Amino acid sequence: MSALAQATLAALPPGLVWQADRLAQPAEAGIATGFAALDAQLPGGGWPRNALIELLSDSPGIGEIGLLLPVLRTLPAERWIVWITPPHLPYAPALAAAGVPLERLLLLEAASHAETLWATRQALISGGSSAVLAWLARADTAALRRLQLAAESSATPLFLFRPASAARQPSPASLRLRLSARDDGLVLDILKRRGPGLAAPLRLPLPQRPGPRRAPVFNDALVRPDPVRPAAAGIHARRG
Amino acid sequence: MDEPGELAVVEHAPGARVVAATPTALARGVEAGQGVAGALAVAPSLHLRERDPALEAATLEEFAAWAAQFTPCVSIDPPDTLVLETSASLRLFGGVTGLVRRIRAGLVPLGLNAAIAAAPTPLAARWLARTHPGRQIRGTAGWRCQLDEFPVELLGDGAEVARATLDLLYGIGARRIGDVARLPRDGLARRQAGVVLDTLARARGERPDPRRWFIPPERFEARLALPASILHTEPLLFAAGRLFSGLSAWLAARHAALDRCCLCLEHEDRPDTVLEIVTGTPGRDDGRLLMLAREHLAALALPAPVEALRLSADNPVSTPGRTPDLFGDPDSARDSAALLLDRLRARLGRDAVRTVHPVSEHRPERAWRLAEPGRLVPRDVPPAAGPRPLWLMREPRALDSIRALTLLNGPERIESGWWDGTDVRRDYYVARAPDAALWWVFELQDPPGGWYVHGYFG
Repeated sequence: MSALAQATLAALPPGLVWQADRLAQPAEAGIATGFAALDAQLPGGGWPRNALIELLSDSPGIGEIGLLLPVLRTLPAERWIVWITPPHLPYAPALAAAGVPLERLLLLEAASHAETLWATRQALISGGSSAVLAWLARADTAALRRLQLAAESSATPLFLFRPASAARQPSPASLRLRLSARDDGLVLDILKRRGPGLAAPLRLPLPQRPGPRRAPVFNDALVRPDPVRPAAAGIHARRG
Repeated sequence: MDEPGELAVVEHAPGARVVAATPTALARGVEAGQGVAGALAVAPSLHLRERDPALEAATLEEFAAWAAQFTPCVSIDPPDTLVLETSASLRLFGGVTGLVRRIRAGLVPLGLNAAIAAAPTPLAARWLARTHPGRQIRGTAGWRCQLDEFPVELLGDGAEVARATLDLLYGIGARRIGDVARLPRDGLARRQAGVVLDTLARARGERPDPRRWFIPPERFEARLALPASILHTEPLLFAAGRLFSGLSAWLAARHAALDRCCLCLEHEDRPDTVLEIVTGTPGRDDGRLLMLAREHLAALALPAPVEALRLSADNPVSTPGRTPDLFGDPDSARDSAALLLDRLRARLGRDAVRTVHPVSEHRPERAWRLAEPGRLVPRDVPPAAGPRPLWLMREPRALDSIRALTLLNGPERIESGWWDGTDVRRDYYVARAPDAALWWVFELQDPPGGWYVHGYFG
């Protein structure tokens, strides 16, 4: 590209033209993810505020919720954080300990796939939710497109958890991440973003993860290392 | 009805006569006061409907309850008139013109049509609505002269002037009210026409004209008979919208809101289908109730065609009026959140929309419970002794062996519950799976042996 063309492009207002070799600059800044390394790689410096975000992973327990915990903690009050058909039970003691406002949590169960899609769309377009987390086993492109439009029109981010095999399927999502775990944290593979492809996957340490071997904690009368044998030994000793 | 366009209401009391007809029927030449035979001759496809005075009175009462949102001083003036004393609320609604516009717009969803007029006295307003609907007489100095132009028959409308007296006045050449006013007073009084003078004085505002103000009923009850039996949702919703508009107006008149109402669908030979419509927060927005009714009806298979709809509600809670905010409504976020909750509950069922709360308990499967969304989370739950996973499995999954797992953290002994027969004795560990996912596993101690996965550190 000639220097003149470069200068002309640079003079345009931001957001009008996106050059594919650099990160898009959306008009509205994103929601900070809580991870500086991830913010630096996302257009707008965070999770987009009005988009479908796909998180692809196969097995639970790799830190898929830990990735969203900083966002869930800082979302504005008065609106719901909607979880739609999660695969397991969100465990209240752990969520409360992580600072997630359980008053704002809405946990939905749906009887059918159609109801799941309906509930997801309603949660988005109502304007009554600050973030929507949905688990969809399958979704065709038309359904995804509708969800993306609903998220765009209502300025509500939709975090859609899908199996890793969905990476082969084209998707209208503006951001797609594949999640996997390494020994020391979460590995993010940015499959799609408004910007150039990423050379190497991103590694994020998750502070909330339980670390390797620590001294066991015994601070409760009912939580003891082994209550039977020491007591029995004591009784025998007294007899002897 | 297959042809709703041509319809006439007939009265049988002094021989079958048309009382009122739809515009299409009027265009065909049907006239009020015409005999039924004559009407059928000019419009053979005319549908006849018997006049129902009870229904007319009920409609007028519903209209009165609706109109009470504009002023507390509403009075029913039988058989077909409603008097609103609006001098105190004119400024709020932007003058007479603004008020008339609002009343007209509000009548559309109720399916009613009104001839509206405004004048300084109730009788003058009534006469003006009869003769020149849509006009108003302002209370300027010479307004009483405008009354003089009205035909003398109006004296019998809304007042106790007998037919014989009117005939007498007509017989002596009085055609306009002004002619009557110019007649010698003592002569009129001698001919038992004192009531004429009294009526004139009330219409001219020279004598007080007290009215009994209408008090909206304590309980809302409205029934709408459908013109044909209906099995489809959309026409039912259209008809229900009419009932919800009435309910909303009744609430507005009482400055109240409610969080539940009951919509009954009446069938011909079956028990009624009852829809209990519950909103999360008290409100009086008919659109919102209609939307919830739509969700209920969508989830419902109608057992039989519906013949009539009945809407009932009681126990409204009074709500203070909300002042419109110059900088947007600060409650809109809270409103849309409440609306979303209502909508999800109506479609998915109450049990499918929940949240989770922690419970002070050592056994992990009992350290949580389902709760109503929006409730305050108990603050007195002590933090757990060890790491807790973000995902808990409903049922622990048995592991054949833990050879593939790396135990990272533990053991944490949890032993509790001997008093209620579901005691547990388990050693919990954080374990790393081959794909580096973190699992929460335990080894059963009582009876010993056996490894289980109980959660994932998501």
